[in-house]
Amino acid sequence: MFSGLPTVLVNAALISALYALIAIGFTMIFGVGGVLNLAHGALLMAGAYAYLLLARDTISVPVFESMTLHPLIAFPIAVVTVAVLSYLLYVVIVQFVEDNPIVTFLATIVVALAATEVVIHYAGASTHTYTLIPSDLLPSTVGFGPVDGILTVDVVGFVVSWVAIGLLWLYVTKTDSGRAIRATSMTERGARLTGVNVHAVRARTWLVAGALAGIGGVFLGASASATPGMWLQPLSLAFIIVVIGGIGSIKGSIVAAYLIGFLQTGVGEYLGQNFRGILSLVLLIAVLFMLPQGLFGREFHE
Amino acid sequence: MMTRHNEQTTGDQHTDEQTTGRRPTDERNADGSTGGTGYVRRRHFLQTAGAAAVTSTLAGCIPGSGDGGDNLEGPIRIGHLAPLQNPLGIGSRRTATMAVDQISDDGGIMDEEVEVVHADTGGNPGTAQTEAERLVAEEDVDVIVGTFVSEVTQAIMDYVAQEGVPLIVTGSSAPSTVTDFIGQDYDRYKNFFRTGPINSTFQAEAMVDYVNHLNDLHGWSSFAVVADDAAWVEPHLNVLPDALEEQGYDLVMEQSLNINIDDFSPVINDVVESDADAMIRFFAHINAAPLLVERAQRELTFGIEGIHVTGMHPAFAQLTEGAATYETTSQSGGGGTTDITENTIPFVESYRERFADSDPPVGHPMYMGFNTYDAINVYKAAVERGGTWDYGNDLDSIVDAMLATDHTGVAGQIQLYGPDAEYPHDAKETRDDEGTISNFPITQWQPQGALECVYPEQHATAEHMAPRW
Repeated sequence: MFSGLPTVLVNAALISALYALIAIGFTMIFGVGGVLNLAHGALLMAGAYAYLLLARDTISVPVFESMTLHPLIAFPIAVVTVAVLSYLLYVVIVQFVEDNPIVTFLATIVVALAATEVVIHYAGASTHTYTLIPSDLLPSTVGFGPVDGILTVDVVGFVVSWVAIGLLWLYVTKTDSGRAIRATSMTERGARLTGVNVHAVRARTWLVAGALAGIGGVFLGASASATPGMWLQPLSLAFIIVVIGGIGSIKGSIVAAYLIGFLQTGVGEYLGQNFRGILSLVLLIAVLFMLPQGLFGREFHE
Repeated sequence: MMTRHNEQTTGDQHTDEQTTGRRPTDERNADGSTGGTGYVRRRHFLQTAGAAAVTSTLAGCIPGSGDGGDNLEGPIRIGHLAPLQNPLGIGSRRTATMAVDQISDDGGIMDEEVEVVHADTGGNPGTAQTEAERLVAEEDVDVIVGTFVSEVTQAIMDYVAQEGVPLIVTGSSAPSTVTDFIGQDYDRYKNFFRTGPINSTFQAEAMVDYVNHLNDLHGWSSFAVVADDAAWVEPHLNVLPDALEEQGYDLVMEQSLNINIDDFSPVINDVVESDADAMIRFFAHINAAPLLVERAQRELTFGIEGIHVTGMHPAFAQLTEGAATYETTSQSGGGGTTDITENTIPFVESYRERFADSDPPVGHPMYMGFNTYDAINVYKAAVERGGTWDYGNDLDSIVDAMLATDHTGVAGQIQLYGPDAEYPHDAKETRDDEGTISNFPITQWQPQGALECVYPEQHATAEHMAPRW
């Protein structure tokens, strides 16, 4: 019945870590500003393509003609690039329209579509893959108990995911600027009353969320591939995860990411690959009916 | 199967297009034909309807500029319909342009100038329908060439049949596109042709021969069959598994994959667990690059055979950092590696030369590019044989001339099945002396990014290599 269970569990854990990276930034931005950032998937894509641009010579844009940096150098630059892009997205566009959810919705989806066109223009519609873990650093696969042939890049992604989550947790619990983010996501009015500069908090949240999206994007591109359409599925995934986890709850996103990751992998293995996506949606509907605020969410009050 | 009619098409279409595209339902095909009467009737209808919005473009909807087609004037316009953003569509666009340029340099078709109009389907049936209508109603094309996704082809079939404009398919391979349409109602759909690729049923048969070849070569005897969950694959899944078992091979796994799959690990693990000697996969929608990367990193040694459209990209080995090494795919034209006919290599060389400095992909077109180039030349020969391109008044002459096709193309020797065949108007498979299908060449990415033709043997440039990491 449950043949290959260890393999399924390991795979599920690895993909869930990636899902968590994909979803956390999305949920933070929603928690702090009530903004549904439909360009979140495009930021993931930006991570993958920024890394490609820096580390591989298969695409070239003016100024960055065939540059091949070492992955350890290219990775942080790509992440910072995406963080800055995310910050700029807020400062240049979103902050002017964030009070109107419909306009924000449209503005961010337009950014996502424009990003797709930019990628097609410079990198073509073809598939690009890249190796994130140089073979001279680590073997390309590792064994883990009864499971062998686990991709090192996925394991590294798992570790990086938890390191990022740990750092994020330290930031939002131990530092004033991080606590301000948490406070704002709990109650904006309360935050204002205690002297938090909500506007600055929002901009900072976009920066942090962008960095997480950048990390997620580089690993997403490494474990799958970089294509101009790669942003759509992670975006819908982020949606599902955020609703199930509870709007604005970082903890909820992590739990829901693992829930979805294990569900999809288990379903794919034991019911067939075609059911992978369906059950997530069924779960989404069930949560909406039974726990409208999600697993760890709170009612919105203003 | 979609049967959308014009009446249901909405969206930002132009008034004149809508007006001309419409006919009261009871009038459509009232006489079972799509011939000139329809146009005359439509003109009459328009006049009585007093369609004020009808502008001069309307004249373009009526073949022969509305003069009953007696004094047809050029230029002859060829509509090319493909997913133009996709590397495959880019190649098809270029070869269509090449074919038209060459024909023009040789004096055109029946001494008329020839032009090509490109339209982008985006791989989307709805967009394809809108674009097909634009090509016919606004661009006044005399023939439509192209279409890659079978679902897209089937979405435009009814409209194309209603207008009567010849449609020559060069990318999609579902046999149902033939059997469910022209096979059911010959008169209505007789303007449909497919000059290549051979349909999936023949592809599946050819695949069995190829598996025998692999068995002779490497002793492989157990196979895992994995495919897109899409129309074009149905015959492969209907024919291949049984055929393999009939030949005494072990079918150790059979799976359809959702075309939005994003995690191949479970699939790979299933193949590994099944202990298959090779995985035979049919991916036109699924981009299996991640699967190849994981396989390469894990240094797995099962063969990867079948069809992988994404892997036909001329720079695929480079784009995947060599992860594509050892994967094979069948592709019309054999990726330009070998002389399928005496015209193949010269064609590829002129393509390479002409587009050397263009945006990628460069080198050679993907399979659809070969077929599109052939289709336009087949059309030219047919028009000249039949003496007309006026499908509005004389579709039958065009059909008869098309069916008489025996053209040495760049993807193979092209002949079409007749009206009474199992697959009317479909590309004939070519067979060697032993009855083995030969216009289904298989290429393999070999180490150092070399692309070689490995089957059939008369076209092979190298021997198939079993994976060794």
